Amino acid sequence: MKYQTICICICILFSVHCVAQTQDSQYKKRVLETAEIDFLSSYYTQDGDNAAVSGGIGTEELTDATATVVISIPLNADDVLTIDAGISAYTSASSSNVDPFDGSGVANAFVASSGASGADVWSNITGVYSHSSDDRNTLWSGKVSISAEYDYFSFGVGGSFTKLFNEKNTELSISANAYLDSWSIISPAELRAPGSGDDDDDFDINNFTITGNTNYAPNFVALPTDKRNSYSLGFGFSQILSKKLQGSLALDFVSQNGLLSTPFQRVYFSDIEDSFIEDFHLAEDIERLPDTRFKVAVGGRLNYYINEVVTVRSFYRYYFDDWGITSHTASIEIPIKLGDKFTIYPSYRYYQQTAADYFQPYNQHLSTAQFYTSDFDLSTYSSNQFGFGISYTDILTKLKLWKIGLKSIDLKVYQYDRDTSFSSTIITTGFKFNLD
Amino acid sequence: MKKPIFLLLILLLTIQSCVVVKEYEKVAINDPDMILADKKCDRNLSTSHAYREAAVGANGGKTGGGCGCN
Repeated sequence: MKYQTICICICILFSVHCVAQTQDSQYKKRVLETAEIDFLSSYYTQDGDNAAVSGGIGTEELTDATATVVISIPLNADDVLTIDAGISAYTSASSSNVDPFDGSGVANAFVASSGASGADVWSNITGVYSHSSDDRNTLWSGKVSISAEYDYFSFGVGGSFTKLFNEKNTELSISANAYLDSWSIISPAELRAPGSGDDDDDFDINNFTITGNTNYAPNFVALPTDKRNSYSLGFGFSQILSKKLQGSLALDFVSQNGLLSTPFQRVYFSDIEDSFIEDFHLAEDIERLPDTRFKVAVGGRLNYYINEVVTVRSFYRYYFDDWGITSHTASIEIPIKLGDKFTIYPSYRYYQQTAADYFQPYNQHLSTAQFYTSDFDLSTYSSNQFGFGISYTDILTKLKLWKIGLKSIDLKVYQYDRDTSFSSTIITTGFKFNLD
Repeated sequence: MKKPIFLLLILLLTIQSCVVVKEYEKVAINDPDMILADKKCDRNLSTSHAYREAAVGANGGKTGGGCGCN
């Protein structure tokens, strides 16, 4: 009896071991088969006549060139590490007018100063770790990011959890992010205390002749904080509605606190007499905005695969916040396949928003108000955007350089026009490679 | 209050009435152009919208961080 029991136990243990080995050696499709590399770049230009730096008038001319590399590395069958690093260099005419007196020409809001404040570099690195369950019905991810430019630093953490149901026809997700940012506060040149800079070239109002109201004495109060924190919570739901139709709904809440205004954006008051140096209107104060803001956005996507040639992609979003802004965004893109390698992407996007409660254009605020801004990004406007793109895809990655195979190339151009003077153009490119 | 509940019920009924699409029937759904998000190469476009427009969120993009002040 004793030997019988021992034999049965050994058999059970052996069976369990075999089953375990069988389970271990079962083929499991990897979440990501090979490492992928994306090179993304863009060239952006904008112009307009309502620069926030000069209180709602002046040139908004800006150019920006951005390059980003995104590397996704499969760590094992279930886990993927993604490193995303980017750099963006820009020149901004309006930013150059933070100090309009440091150039060689006559100071004017519609002319860029040749001084140092007109250019900067933004850099960013983000790491994302994601894990999928064995049945691929559960996915979680964690994210850490850092970005920096001359006067701004941002640290972000976040995570998301996704669950698929109903034979992967239904997907629910929740995500949360926190960004802890800090400013190096830069004020308009004329509001800085004389001699507060670190070199002899710094602006000193006593070296200039003031015209208009010669008793220029702004009541400038320093900002109470240089920190800005943003917290977001998002919920997502997507559903396959038929073999050719699927849609999604998203609900995002964003809470911000701290310094939500931009310290170098000027404001002019209608009840204060104007003072000028050369052709430049001297700041009467800087933008002042509440130290909290709560934003809610609800959006939906609906994509329909008409046939092997044409697909329709649509998007709508409603947004509101406690600064009094509401907005609607609607867009449509119609990818059209030209053979098995090329696709063209005509698109249209409409956007409109109402103004923030604290917005008034140039020289129309009252100095008795608590909050004020003349940033036209917070004004009432609508915009139209037309886009066109072309994509080349080679799913077999025949074009190879050593172990790197080219998978796709994307090129897109978008023209964006507001019903104000503002317009912009962006050209984006994307190169996707597979690493064997 | 009744209206959102009614709309939610309609939505749930619509979803309930959907057929379950099997994996082998998802050829069209798995087409890269059917993805329910922006394409990667549109990321900088979304960033420019986030900087220049008040509305952000509900599109899978960034909802915070960065000043976007230039």
